[in-house]
Amino acid sequence: MEILGQFRREGLGRRENRRLGLIFLMALSFSMVLFSLFGARASVFEKAREALLDISEPVLSVLGSPIRWVDARFGDLSDYFNVLDENKRLREENSELRAWMHEAITLQRQLDYFRGVLGVELPEPADYVDALVIGEVDTPFQRSMILNAGARQGVENGFAVVQDAGMVGHVVTTGKSASRILLLTDPSSRTPVVVEGAELEAILVGRSRGQPALTFFAIRDPEGLEAGQRVVTSGAGGVLPRGIPIGEIADISDDGVRVKLFANYAGTDFVRVVKYRFQPDLTQVENNGADGTPSAGPSADEGGNE
Amino acid sequence: MNETVQDRRWLALTPTLMAIAGVVLLLLPLRLFGGFVPTPIIPLAVIFFWSLYEPDFIPYPIVFLIGLLQDFLTGGTVGVWASVYLFSQWLILQQRKYFLGREQHVVWLGFSIIVAVISVIIWLEQSLLTRTLLPYMASLWQWVVTIAIYPLLSIAFSFLHKRAIMEEE
Repeated sequence: MEILGQFRREGLGRRENRRLGLIFLMALSFSMVLFSLFGARASVFEKAREALLDISEPVLSVLGSPIRWVDARFGDLSDYFNVLDENKRLREENSELRAWMHEAITLQRQLDYFRGVLGVELPEPADYVDALVIGEVDTPFQRSMILNAGARQGVENGFAVVQDAGMVGHVVTTGKSASRILLLTDPSSRTPVVVEGAELEAILVGRSRGQPALTFFAIRDPEGLEAGQRVVTSGAGGVLPRGIPIGEIADISDDGVRVKLFANYAGTDFVRVVKYRFQPDLTQVENNGADGTPSAGPSADEGGNE
Repeated sequence: MNETVQDRRWLALTPTLMAIAGVVLLLLPLRLFGGFVPTPIIPLAVIFFWSLYEPDFIPYPIVFLIGLLQDFLTGGTVGVWASVYLFSQWLILQQRKYFLGREQHVVWLGFSIIVAVISVIIWLEQSLLTRTLLPYMASLWQWVVTIAIYPLLSIAFSFLHKRAIMEEE
């Protein structure tokens, strides 16, 4: 009997310990949430993220190769069945693109001529880093990708990442040999954009699996907005270059304006990281110009507090 | 005797390893059916199954670490998944007596309910963190896939679990 009682007491003690452990761990994780909210980016967590990203890079590269292989085989298979339709479509697209090419060449000539006349100082053309998508995070309300290029390849936080069709996202964590990009669809993604045609500046806000929404700066009816208008990066804030294609306006309703992205995430295997640094010297040049009006000032300051 | 204890110790690691594999699977660009089907949240199924049938194999600190690993690797706010996994394990342990010995479809229903509760918590947590009311439906599909895959996982886990019990005897 005495032994039984002891057993019971011990059992109770163990359960009590477990409960205390749970309360402690719960409190710990909640304080971690709070800490990462207020400790901002340069915290210990960021270092841990970078380190874990570097550790996971070889693992993901190795595990990802059979997936890519299977994907490619499936792609081949469907290509085989669609080869005639695809050929016809490509032929049509090709003739269309040829016409565009000639127009682009003409426009480039004209542009060069006007630049020569006006003596415009141009920023250096952006440099690219090619990268392979080795990971994709697809948990509810988290949309990001892991690339196999990091600080060693010249990737930095904030760089835009593009695919042949359009912008995919921007770099948020940079390890030595891997980096994480936040997709435009992630709920915490905010991208300054401009709607071409309507010339409206807006912020593109991710909505998880749905189409991203536009939030406008000014409190007024966004006039002149139509479905099908192109949405490109505005360059406000100086983090992203201006004019990277993002998508087109898909739907305008009371709920807001939705954007259909050009980038196809399910088919994104190779991407390019745009190495862009805002060049404040250009503003200086313009400010010291003949008429002395600070014309380029506002665009540089607009999103400066972001 | 000594040998079986050793074996049991190794087998006790299986849920931890499987949960870690589940986290890695969440990171791989699987894109099932052309990206139409999101990756199921396997760690949750691992935590559910093992908390029910062998809670000693998956103590709270392990669950916490699995959640933390997922938080760091998915790049989200640190502590979100850790707290969610801990809470779900607590829920399961509360209902453990009811589910033990029940038929598998009852257990599956239990898993679905837990997943439903967790999905709402995640939605609220993320909405609070991003300070906007996120569309709840956007994540629904992933939870449905997670629930749908549970029977398959539970068959695999049962096999491992039976081995663990046999080693014990």
